[in-house]
Amino acid sequence: MDSLQGLAYGFAVAFTGPNLVACFLGVLVGTVVGVLPGIGPIGAMALLIPSTFALGPTTALIMLAGIYYGSMYGGSTTSILVNVPGEAASVVTAIDGYQMARKGRAGAALAVSAMGSFVAGSLGIVALMFFAPTLAEVALKFGPPEYFSLTLVGLIFLSRLGGGTALKSFLMVGLGLILGTVGMEPISGLPRFTLGQLQLSQGIELVPVAMGLYGIGEVLIIAERITGIPQLVKVKFRELFPTMTEWKRAFPPMLRGGGVGFLIGLIPGPAAILSTFAAYALEKKISKHPEEFGQGAIEGVAGPESANNSATAGAMVPLLALGVPFAPATAMLLGALIIHGVQPGPLLITEQPEIFWGVIASMYIGNFVLLILNLPMVGVFASILRLPQYLLMGLILLLCLVGTYSVNNSFLDLYILIGMGGVGYILRKLKFDMAPLILALVLGPMLEKTLRQSLFMTRGDVWMIINRPIAAVLLSAGLAAIVLPPLISLMKRYFKSQP
Amino acid sequence: MAVRALPITSFCFLFLGAAYLAGSLELPRGSAAQPGAGLYPLLIGIFLVALSLALLIRSLRKNETEPEKGEPFPKGKDRQRVMALGVALFLFALFLKPLGYGLCSAVLMGVILRLLGLASWGRIVLISILTALLSYYLFASLLGVPLPGGIFFS
Repeated sequence: MDSLQGLAYGFAVAFTGPNLVACFLGVLVGTVVGVLPGIGPIGAMALLIPSTFALGPTTALIMLAGIYYGSMYGGSTTSILVNVPGEAASVVTAIDGYQMARKGRAGAALAVSAMGSFVAGSLGIVALMFFAPTLAEVALKFGPPEYFSLTLVGLIFLSRLGGGTALKSFLMVGLGLILGTVGMEPISGLPRFTLGQLQLSQGIELVPVAMGLYGIGEVLIIAERITGIPQLVKVKFRELFPTMTEWKRAFPPMLRGGGVGFLIGLIPGPAAILSTFAAYALEKKISKHPEEFGQGAIEGVAGPESANNSATAGAMVPLLALGVPFAPATAMLLGALIIHGVQPGPLLITEQPEIFWGVIASMYIGNFVLLILNLPMVGVFASILRLPQYLLMGLILLLCLVGTYSVNNSFLDLYILIGMGGVGYILRKLKFDMAPLILALVLGPMLEKTLRQSLFMTRGDVWMIINRPIAAVLLSAGLAAIVLPPLISLMKRYFKSQP
Repeated sequence: MAVRALPITSFCFLFLGAAYLAGSLELPRGSAAQPGAGLYPLLIGIFLVALSLALLIRSLRKNETEPEKGEPFPKGKDRQRVMALGVALFLFALFLKPLGYGLCSAVLMGVILRLLGLASWGRIVLISILTALLSYYLFASLLGVPLPGGIFFS
């Protein structure tokens, strides 16, 4: 199936009733959690995974992916209007976006970020559509050693690129890997680390862990302070139209941001967040008026807001082509696929084209819906912030509890959820990044399986693994990511001490 | 307090890693060519112990760099509120089975509303009962989640 045929097929899949509804619901929930500080796309995806059980895998993935890219639209709204980023990926937008709002150009900032998201998001999907099948074809030649290296390097990169210090991130990886080994061992069926609990032999589920860390942990942090309801900048519909000069200034950054975002999306790491910083830095660097940045430069809104959207498309590439997620949000998507009994990997595109092309087509539809949701209706979403905090937090907590319980009807999962909430709260306060833990929990079983398969294959000869070219390149990249940064900072210190 | 939190946390990591490592030693390791169920846990156990030792040593040193320190934990009433919320969640899980969803969710919601600053008792009672009823209807009746009915909905 070539791309155009595939896309036509995808639209046929996406334009069925349930899938359209799922797409709409997904981007709607995405926009809402994007607007709300406190609960982000990962928590929301974890919350909604249980409710997708009744749906088919394609419909489920369409909805969950919608939450992911939809949250990138919603996040900018609060950044611009109240200087409170709804998402980590919209922190940069607040810098110039809020300044624009203070100068009375809130409407223009909102319009430019929604347009930029749309333009770059659509470009990203086109790139995803051509890139993923090619990569999947290459990946068909991958054996266990390649997958082992890929998984390992993914974990290393994420820990190095994410927030917090490398040591803390690696500790979170370790914790996630350990949690991933609890339960029945896949080859011999031996129960491991179950502490004698029969229920634990099924393993620790992703949903309670992710909901605990991202849902309950966040709410506990918010509960530290009782805050009032934020003051919103009012935006009239008429003001939503940027002036001609504003358009001219904003359009090139949209394209550049789209390019930067997609490329960063391919790399393991919290793609959407990193891409905004990269796009902002790029715009500032090439701008003729770098002094305007921080004072309400429209490029500083258009670039990053475009980048984070195409980054979500980029991050879908390794997930759909290789079956290996490189970002916490795509790890949630992988978790959902596995729950639905889909075997992710390079064969997914050819063997289950309805999932791949259906999701891609739904992303086109979703981006279009998002443009409508986020431009004329931006005020509706911003007014969610007027809901009193106690009500919102109460509902989020209740949803976390019921959502977790509904996965297995398990009381043990509830304790895991609450325990993880406490752990998440404390570790967050100490500046640990939660993303490596989630990714390690998902990738851990894959890491062990591929490691053992590789060793079986080479009869225990580690050199034979390293001798395979792709594995060697990947592993050296991982090694470089560990060794180089401390080496560079050491050299810097050395040269500084020289007179 | 925040100064001591990191060493304590890294000590917890160390303890967890050591316990895990001890557990992994009891599993069959196999050989390099025939790796058993215990090989991978052994490797990641060593990984965790080594890292948590490094963090413990680093956190005990005085010259902690600024971004590593983390935010201070809340004091006084703020701390009480966070802890009360945690306890309320735990009690919800504990009593969900014997008392049922309706009662537990209403009480939990009431506690959250009160803790997070809703002052009027009348509204607290009203909102909690409404939330419990609506969410029970939504989850149990519409989505088919078998929530424990307990003493109210059986």
